[in-house]
Formats: sequence, C-alpha cells, structure tokens
Amino acid sequence: MSDSAAAPTSTGIDNKKLIMWLFLASDCMFFGTLISTHLLYRKLYPTGFTDAEGHVRFVQNLFDLELTSFSTFILLMSSFLMALAVSAMHKGQIASFRRNVLGVIVFGLIFLGCQVYEFTHFYHKGLTIQNSVFGSTFYVLTGTHGTHVAIGILWLILLYFYSFTGKLRGHVGALDVEIAGLYWHFVDIVWIIIFTVVYLVEYLGPNGIWGSAVTTLAP
Amino acid sequence: MATAAHHAPVTDKTELPVERSDIGLIRPDRTTGLLDWLTTVDHKKIGILYGAFAMFFFLLGGVEALAIRTQLAKANNDFISAPMYNQMFTMHGTTMIFLGVMPLSAAFFNFLVPLQIGARDVAFPRLNAFSLWTFVFGAFALNVSWVFEFGHLQGWFNNYEWYGKLVYKDFAPANGWFSYAPLSGTFGQADAALHAQRFTGVGTDFWIIGIQILGVASLAASFNFIVTIFNMRAPGMTMMRLPVFTWMTLVTAFLIILAFPAITVALIELMFDRQFGANFFNPTNGGQPILWQHLFWIFGHPEVYILVLPAMGIVSEILPTFSRKALFGYPIIVFSGAVIGFLGFAVWSHHMFTTGLGPVPTAAFSLLTMAIAVPTGVKIFNWVGTIWGGQVRFTPPMVLSLGFIWMFMCGGFSGIMHSSAPADSQQQDTYFVVAHFHYVLLGGVLLGLMAGLYFWFPKIFGRMPNAAIAYVASALVIFGFNLAFGPMHYLGLTGMPRRTHTYQPGYGWEDWNFIATIGAYILGLGVFLAFANLVWTAWRGKRTETDPWDGRTLEWSLPSPVPAYNFAQTPIVATRDAWFEHKHGGARIGALADGGPEGVHMPSQSWMPLLASVGFLMIGLGLPMMSMGIPHLGWLVIAGLGVLFLGIWLWAIEGPGGYHLKTPSAKSVAPTPTASVHS
Amino acid sequence: MSAHAEPAIDANFLAEETRRYHHFITLALWLAVITGAEIVVIFLPLPVALILTLLTVMSVGKFFAVVLWFMHLIYDARLLFWLFIAGLGLACATFTALIALFSFDRVDTAWFS
Repeated sequence: MSDSAAAPTSTGIDNKKLIMWLFLASDCMFFGTLISTHLLYRKLYPTGFTDAEGHVRFVQNLFDLELTSFSTFILLMSSFLMALAVSAMHKGQIASFRRNVLGVIVFGLIFLGCQVYEFTHFYHKGLTIQNSVFGSTFYVLTGTHGTHVAIGILWLILLYFYSFTGKLRGHVGALDVEIAGLYWHFVDIVWIIIFTVVYLVEYLGPNGIWGSAVTTLAP
Repeated sequence: MATAAHHAPVTDKTELPVERSDIGLIRPDRTTGLLDWLTTVDHKKIGILYGAFAMFFFLLGGVEALAIRTQLAKANNDFISAPMYNQMFTMHGTTMIFLGVMPLSAAFFNFLVPLQIGARDVAFPRLNAFSLWTFVFGAFALNVSWVFEFGHLQGWFNNYEWYGKLVYKDFAPANGWFSYAPLSGTFGQADAALHAQRFTGVGTDFWIIGIQILGVASLAASFNFIVTIFNMRAPGMTMMRLPVFTWMTLVTAFLIILAFPAITVALIELMFDRQFGANFFNPTNGGQPILWQHLFWIFGHPEVYILVLPAMGIVSEILPTFSRKALFGYPIIVFSGAVIGFLGFAVWSHHMFTTGLGPVPTAAFSLLTMAIAVPTGVKIFNWVGTIWGGQVRFTPPMVLSLGFIWMFMCGGFSGIMHSSAPADSQQQDTYFVVAHFHYVLLGGVLLGLMAGLYFWFPKIFGRMPNAAIAYVASALVIFGFNLAFGPMHYLGLTGMPRRTHTYQPGYGWEDWNFIATIGAYILGLGVFLAFANLVWTAWRGKRTETDPWDGRTLEWSLPSPVPAYNFAQTPIVATRDAWFEHKHGGARIGALADGGPEGVHMPSQSWMPLLASVGFLMIGLGLPMMSMGIPHLGWLVIAGLGVLFLGIWLWAIEGPGGYHLKTPSAKSVAPTPTASVHS
Repeated sequence: MSAHAEPAIDANFLAEETRRYHHFITLALWLAVITGAEIVVIFLPLPVALILTLLTVMSVGKFFAVVLWFMHLIYDARLLFWLFIAGLGLACATFTALIALFSFDRVDTAWFS
C-alpha cells in the first residue's frame, strides 16, 4: 500500500496501478520463459514419457480434457466475478463487492482443487517430475501458475476480511481492490495461453501437434 | 490513514509524540542511531546504506581478485588450491557484479533520482527499504558459504553424518558467475539419494538462492524507480527535461524488470533439478544444458547494460558540469541509451557463438551486436562534443570521467572484435575476453561510479574529499588497471585460457602474468586509497558549501547534507539544467506554495520491510543447508516463507502513517520563489 | 450549488460503471462460448494448420478481451497499455527466437527407448 496513493501524480496514473502494470509486464517475461521451456522440450521430445513399468506413454492419453476444460471455465468465470467486484467497489457497494469476491475465492479454490486432483491423477498414471523432461516442465509450469493462483486467493481473502474493518473504502479502497483484480486477471490470461499451448495442441493429429512426426502409436 | 496526518508539525522527528500504527505497534518514527537506520524509509539514508554495503563488497571482491592474481603471478604456482581458485573467481565475479556494481548504482539511484526530479521521496518508501534489506540479506546468504568452506577446511564437520554424503566439497560457489549447466546441475537417473547426482557441492545452492534473493531486491527497486520517475516529477519537469542520469536510471530499471524474470525462472529450474530431481538441464534424462546458457544470457546480456548505463548517466552529468557547457545532443544521448537497452535484448547468443547455433542465427546475432556499437559510439562522440570548446576544470570527478571515456572505448573496441563470430571463436574463454570485460566493467563502470562518488559526496555528506589523495588514487587506479588488464589481451590471443588454476612455463605467459599481477596490486591500492579517502571524508572531512562544483541539476540547489524533506517548497522547473539556468540568468526555478506552516508530510518509518526481508534471509540460509543434508532445515525455509508473508501482510495493514516536519523560513530555502516561472 | 454538483458527477460515473457492467456480462458469455469452440475445434476433421490458426486466433482474442475490458486497459491511460505491450511484445519476440534457435537440432523422437 503506497505511502502516497492520494497525492497527484505527474502522469495522472495512480502509483499503485502503475507499479502493478509494470509487475505484469515483467511477469510476461517470467511466464514466457516457463512456457517456452515447456514448448521447446515438447518440440525436441514429442513422444511423452516412460512410466514406472517402462511403458512409453503419450501425452494425449494422459490429459483429461473434461477436467481441464472445466477448470478453465471456472477460472474465466472467476475473472468475470473479479471484474464485477472491482465495479462494485467503484460504485461504493461494499456488500456486492464481498459477494463477488467471495465467488472469486471459491472459484479459485475449485481451480486449485482441480489442479491438485490432476497432479495426483497424473502421478498415479506414472508421470513424475523426475522421470522425464515432460514431467519436469509440465509440473513446474502449471505448478508455478497454481502458486500464482494461491497467492491471489490469499490476497483476496485478506482483502475480504479487511473490508469488515471499514477501512476499505473510497478511492484508495477501490484502487486496492482494482490492483488485486489486475493480478487475478493476469493469472487468468496466462491460463488462457497455457490451456491452448500446453493442453489443446496435444489433441491435434493422432499424436498431438508435437508428435506428428512420430510413426508408432502408443500401446 | 487520515489520523496520523493531523499532528502539529515538528522541526525534528525526535520531538514527535508516540504514535501507534493501525495494528497497534508504536511507529519507529522517533528512533535515532542504529534503530533509525534499520527502520528508515528516507531514500537518502537508504542510498547511503546501499553505498556503504556496496563499497564493502567491492573491497571483498577486490581481495578475491588479488588472490586470483597472486596465484597466477608465476607458472605452476600453489598459492591457493585449484578448488579454492574456482571458488575465488566465481565469488569474485558474482560479488563484483551483484554485490558491488549493482548496489553502488542503486545507491546513486536512491540518493539522486528524487532530488533530480524535484520529489520528496520515492513513490513507495517502504518498498525501497525492503529492496535494501533484501539485497543485504541476499548478499549475506551468498557469503555465508565462505563460513562453511572455512569450517570444511578446518575439519569441523567430519563427525557429522550428513557431511559424508557430499560428493564434492566446494561449499562456496565454484561454477563461474554464469554457473553453466550441467556443471551446476545434475546427472544420472532419478534416485532417492539426490545429493549423489550433483556435479558440484552446496556452494551452487548458495549461489542459486543468493542470486534469486538479489533478483527480488533489484526487481522491487526497479518497479519503484520507474513509478517514481514517471509519477513523482516536479511541475514542469517533463520527460525531456529530466537529467540524463535519471533517464539512464529509467532505462536501467526497465532492463532489470524485463531481464531478471528469465534468470528467476532459470534459477527455479536449476533449483528443481538439484533439490527435487527434475530434468531441465540433466543430460542423462534428456535435459538440454544449452537451455541454461540461453536463459542465462537472455538475462545476462541486458545485465551488462544494467551495469554500464548508470555509469554512462553519471558521466553525462559530470562532463557538462566541468566543461561549463550543456550536454551536447541531449535528446540523442537519451535516445541512444534507450536503443542500447532495447538492442541489449536481441544479442544474447553472441555469448554462445562457439556452441554451434547454425549459420543464420550466428550471422543475425553478429550483425545485431555490431549494431550496438552505433548508439554507443554516438554517446562517446556526444561526450567529446560536450567537452569541446568548454571551460574544462580537471577536478577529480572530471579526471575519472575522462578516464571512463578512454577506457570504456578500449573495451568497446575489443567488444567489436568479439561481435565477429569467426574472431570470437578464437577468443572465446581466453584472457582476451577477460581483458575485454574488465576494460568495460572496471575501466568503464568502476571509473564512472568512482567519478560519481567524488562528484556527489559533497552533496551527500556536506564534506569535500581531499583532492590531492583523489588525484593520486585516480592515477593509481588508471595506471594499475591498464598494467593489469592490457597484457591480458596479449595473453588471450596467445592462447591462455581463462579460469585455469595455473599454467605451465614455456608458453611465453610468465612475464605478462607477473606484470598483470603487479598492476592488480597497484589497482587495488588505488581503489583502497580512493575509498579510504571517502570514508575519512564522511567522518571528518572539510565542510563545504552547498554547490561547490557550480552544478546544473536540482540536487545542487539544496543544502548539504540534504534535509529529510528534500525540498522545502516543491520547485517549478522551466528548462533543462534548471539550477544552472536559474543561477546564470536563464529561466528561474519557481516554487509551489506547499510546505508552509502545516509543514511537509513525511512517511512513517517501519519495521515491516526489514521483517519481510528477514524471511528471505531464513530461506537463503535454510535452503542450501537443507541441501547439505543437515536435518530439519526444511522447516527454516517454511518458517522463512511465513515470516515473509507475515511481514508483507503487517506492512499492508499497518497503514502508511506519516507526520509533518517544519521547514525553515523561505529565506534560507535555496530556490528563490518567483512570481512567474519565466522571469 | 457545488453541493448539488457532486451527485451529478456521481450519476455519470454510475452510468458509466453500469455500462461497463453490461460489457463485462457480454464478455463473460463470449469467453465461455469461445472456450467451448476451442474444445470443439480440435476434434473437427480439418487440416492441422487451419485448426492451429483458429486456436491461435481464439486464445489471443480471449487474452486481449480480458486485458482490454476486465483489466480496464481500454478505459485507462494509454501509457499502461504500452507498458504492458512492451513486456508482452518483448517476451513474445525473445521466446519465439529461442524456440526457433532450438529448431536447428531436433534431437530424436524416442530418446528413452
């Protein structure tokens, strides 16, 4: 929370909003590095991974599209609720803000729950962080995104309870909610990209876009 | 937040009434001495702390350099062992870059940027304190590795069960400052006994977490400075009226926020390889060690400009002052700085020409690298144009600045040679490269930063450094530096590889190595003398007037030392070089009618940034020690995360607070208020 | 007079917020529809290149829809937009180049056999 949020600024942009956008610009490079690590290893090793029994497994057979689509939808809708929560704060409707932000928190927790389920499920199918490059890049990329979601949920929970102290109001209060919202939306747009380049492209062609050069099918 | 703002103004903060923050703790506003320095949010004090720590680490890195040079003074020397030599050159590079040059640049950012733009502080004063302490603790965690190395050499750990599990015993980082995988990473199939698969010892873990923490500090500071420069400018201080140093700070901060994420991710990936058996860089399981090189240099090349641009900004302030001329081609200098920063992202693979990128990428990166010479050359010509026809005064900062231009240009020439890929394949990993980057980073950056120290020291402490000692120190530094690094060009081209513990006689390297070692000692003496002169000055030096150099920018309009609130009245700026114009019959500086009887609003001091940084200290110590196999240290890491979140949370809810300081009467305030901006 | 001016500004502001509110609802529907289309399109018997193009267009569309409306960039200062684009553009350029650099050495197709 800025020590000078109320002071007029040279550009007319609030300090907190400017620093948040700078952070998001920086975070583009952060997720860009993670996503490109995943993609270039997919390109180099299109087949997948070997499970504990020594069977070659294809990524397409690992993924659960229903689950991922559901969690993608949930995260998109949480972003919608976040936009409504910010809108409510702008209008000074604190009760509406609380309802919406509670919705965001619940949806975020559902998303995290899906991710925990997905990780457990994949682990039982034989994908570990140690047994393949795919396992390393997949778990670290989606896990880092999940960490961002978890931090966002923590932030929103703290804001939710802070709103009961009566100090979350006026221009400064709306700004505090808005920058939390910016962070949340960013986490959402990163997932929009991950959903396409990590999940959906694996379904193109018999072995996924990366495996199109692979001649043998999975057992 | 409104409650705190209604106290009666005081002349000294120690007169403040006891005030509690929103979480019920007494604010550390009235503290003095050590507590004041620990909780300060004043950008000037934070700048001084940055500078003090940076100078300490400069000397530490210098001692490491002298150990390296002593070892290389003669063929087949055994002054230090080969493992110790590896740790020495790794920590020398890491210390000089991350704990010496970057924090010393940050010291100037902190002290000068708010003063140069006419602001009372940075945009986020507590975040600034957090950056400082996170840097300090990251640097501390990195150097704690030396304590373990010392204990290992003394045999302290021999009785412990975890000690026997370590394959390699280098406790301090030993992979070079870029820690190339797979040497820094892992090999072999995944196994429960992970520590058996690491090529190098726990020093690498200290390096990983240390650099990660230092990265957090740099990122937080850079976000803060971009917002400050965009948003906190005084009225009339348009972007194209900003002093060049502030412009270069802005470009540097952008480079940091866009370059550091790449190394952050690379470090996370390397950490996962080492701690959890992931395969990012593990060649046995299909990891590509070359990816580390790419990710490192995507960060590492902009890092070079992060190091050099602040020094260029400093020199761009000093040359006009001592030539009594406006900077020649101000917009071109600013534009060139921005272009250097932008192109800096497009040349990373020129560090990797010998890895076999293929002809097209090699040609492309070669061309882009040559293109960077253009804006750099433009700057050099503009600096020369600034001196041309000026009334030059050869003060110590001016001498060092002129040294900067010469030495940086020499480093630039050998840099152009590297940009040609066929030539580079001969020079890769030889002493020629060592000579090149020391000419750029030492002849360039260190001379620039020393010039800045001697230039602004009278403003920072109100005391003038001894000029005679400064001249002697400058001469020793420039002479010793050329004696040390000039011969390395020859050594490199005759084939002496860098990072070798020793060499055989008979290659024709003995004489030049011996001369280089003598030069290094002269250089070390010069730097020590220059720093000792400054420390003595800060403590006992001769008092000086507020504007001893006939300065050009707003900071010289203020008393020395600068009062806590900086500007008693916010200046209204009408031109570039506002203070010089104001003094010499140009457009005058106006003044806003703030800071009257109600006083100047000051942000409250806080413990919370320090508390959050302590969390990083716990993580920085816990993670490598956990990696050693010392039991229960994982809990220290988890507790560190907890302390970090606790600190940030309490910081968020304690409320910004604030109090009011009385300003002296308008008569003693430097910029004379005028009726109109243009008089 | 000035006491009455305050609610007038508020009313404009509220009208603007309400207008945005409706935009948000429309956008949320579109996001859901596009996500559904993405899941369908990967199973259509179309050339892979075409599907890939469609997927790219749809995810980039969703990306910028959230950035512009949910994150208010279309309403906010232009500077913020360009700052974000600087980071995004640099990331896209750098990592496209990185992946392209790796295309020169496709290592093998079944390294683990």
